[in-house]
Amino acid sequence: MHPPISLIFFFLTAGTSIGLFIFTYFIEFLTLFGKGQGLPKEVVLVSGVISLILIGAGAIGASFHLGHKLRAWKAIKRFNTSWLSREAVFSGAYGFTLLIYLVLKYFEVSPFLEHTFGIITWILGILSGFSTAMIYASNKFVLEWNTGITVIYYLLMYLMLGSSAFTIISYFYNLPYTGTFLFLTFLFVLLGLGFRIAFNVRQFYIKRPTLNEALNLPHNRSIRVIDKSSTTDNYCTTEFYYAKGKQMLPTFIPLAYLFTFVIPLFLLIYIYVTDVVNLPLLVLIYLSILAGSAIERWCFFVEGNHVQNLFYGLYPEEGYKLRKGYMERKETRISIY
Amino acid sequence: MPQYALVIDLNTCVGCHACATNCKEWNTQAAFGPLSDYDPYGREASGVWYNRIFTYETGEFPETQVFHLPKSCLHCQDAPCVPVCPTGASYKREQDGIVLVNYDDCIGCKLCSWACPYGCREFDEADKVMKKCTLCIDRIYDETLPPEHRQPACVLTCPARARFFGDIEDPNSEVYKLIKERNGFVLFPDMGTNPANHYLPRQETRINLEEFEKHILKPDNPLFLEVMRRHHTSSKAQAQETPQEEVTHSEELP
Ligand code: SF4
Ligand code: SF4
Ligand code: SF4
Repeated sequence: MHPPISLIFFFLTAGTSIGLFIFTYFIEFLTLFGKGQGLPKEVVLVSGVISLILIGAGAIGASFHLGHKLRAWKAIKRFNTSWLSREAVFSGAYGFTLLIYLVLKYFEVSPFLEHTFGIITWILGILSGFSTAMIYASNKFVLEWNTGITVIYYLLMYLMLGSSAFTIISYFYNLPYTGTFLFLTFLFVLLGLGFRIAFNVRQFYIKRPTLNEALNLPHNRSIRVIDKSSTTDNYCTTEFYYAKGKQMLPTFIPLAYLFTFVIPLFLLIYIYVTDVVNLPLLVLIYLSILAGSAIERWCFFVEGNHVQNLFYGLYPEEGYKLRKGYMERKETRISIY
Repeated sequence: MPQYALVIDLNTCVGCHACATNCKEWNTQAAFGPLSDYDPYGREASGVWYNRIFTYETGEFPETQVFHLPKSCLHCQDAPCVPVCPTGASYKREQDGIVLVNYDDCIGCKLCSWACPYGCREFDEADKVMKKCTLCIDRIYDETLPPEHRQPACVLTCPARARFFGDIEDPNSEVYKLIKERNGFVLFPDMGTNPANHYLPRQETRINLEEFEKHILKPDNPLFLEVMRRHHTSSKAQAQETPQEEVTHSEELP
């Protein structure tokens, strides 16, 4: 699939925004049960405003993916069937309630209202991330994406971005949470690594359809594409098969692993071992995760193979080779001959 | 519930691209056009097409066969492109099962094209909306046209008469009978989309060549002398290899 840069941008901004708010409000939330002392008002406001700016920038950025940006509001119409619609509703509502929460916090109107909106924003943020992930995970025709791993990994990335960003804020304001968030970042990056590996390994075992299945031909009949109906690329070939990206994938996947996981984990272990914490180091961890995630999202799109590519002879066969005998076992329904 | 669809006979489709060309022609001028072209006179001319013809070869040499597969939106009965549309711009009509895009509502998010396993939707870069085959809804209901012309442009133009249009749910319709009698099949049956467009499978025809030879070797066949000459030379060669066989075939010819 062709990676849309605007959607990668949305992922990074929304991820940091929602991740940051999840942790900021969670510390506030704990005070409801008499745990911890909460955060200084200034910290909540600074973190909240960053989140607000980021989600706003993300929404504007993502609209560049649309053909008609001014009609974007219409995306709320099919909430009950479309994950894209849900994403639009949840992320819009998240931004809106976040704004109200910050206003309430700023004027200190009422702790009850403050927490009510805090909790609503918190839930909306998670639902927004979940809906975005489901747009990909629910697509049955891009088998690489069509798995729960996509969703869990997606949310983990939000947490990775959020906790590493919050570590910076915590350190900057000299809060007692730096150690905790260093650990959380370590944990999320490690879990993220596990799920990313699972995502990649799974690709080898996917039972891929074949052109024979697409054309409803007997499974043991060899078939070749002779003419793809147009001498140049068309929407179907450029959108669903990014030839240049496929060539660059072997370079970019290791880079994604390096920046998202290896460098942050190395730096975190370095911090543990030497006990040296400083701002540049924490910023470096966040930036590395940010850059890594951008590359990772790019790879995620390019790794996705849409089944329509079968008609053009552009679908990978590796999966088929790995599962010898699968085709023969399948029953043939209608024979063309 | 009626379900209009195309039925395409793979025996007779000669891959001439007439349907695709006429589809482009009709829809560029009609209600659902234009179908944009990018760089039309340049080296990389491309554009939006509702219908594309693919050509495949099956089997191993020398037992190979080539067939052509015209592919436009299949108007799936359980169209996956419809529920994913966030705006409701993509919809399936109750009254005839035709799947359409409302260009005024489409925000161009491309999600519907991701959700179509057949690659039957194309994004128009000029209009910034998603476009696809409309089953020529602007022709089939146009009462100003003579009844025999109320058919999709691609069906009317097909020189091989490989395309049929009608209600596949109506047991009296031509398309219903064709599907039933000739084992009409659909693309990607496992995808759960239940396409409405059907294809009629290729049927094997065996020709008895011996029967056939009698006819081509009639003296009034313009190729008679040529055939005779070849036959004669080959028989002679054969006779030299096997001298005990006295009778030559040329003498037996009528
Ligand atoms: S062929 Fe594709 S575009 Fe047409 S109805 Fe089916 S899923 Fe939708
Ligand atoms: S591109 Fe248009 S028709 Fe397709 S899903 Fe988006 S809004 Fe709906
Ligand atoms: S039915 Fe009409 S729009 Fe569809 S492929 Fe045929 S000519 Fe094109």
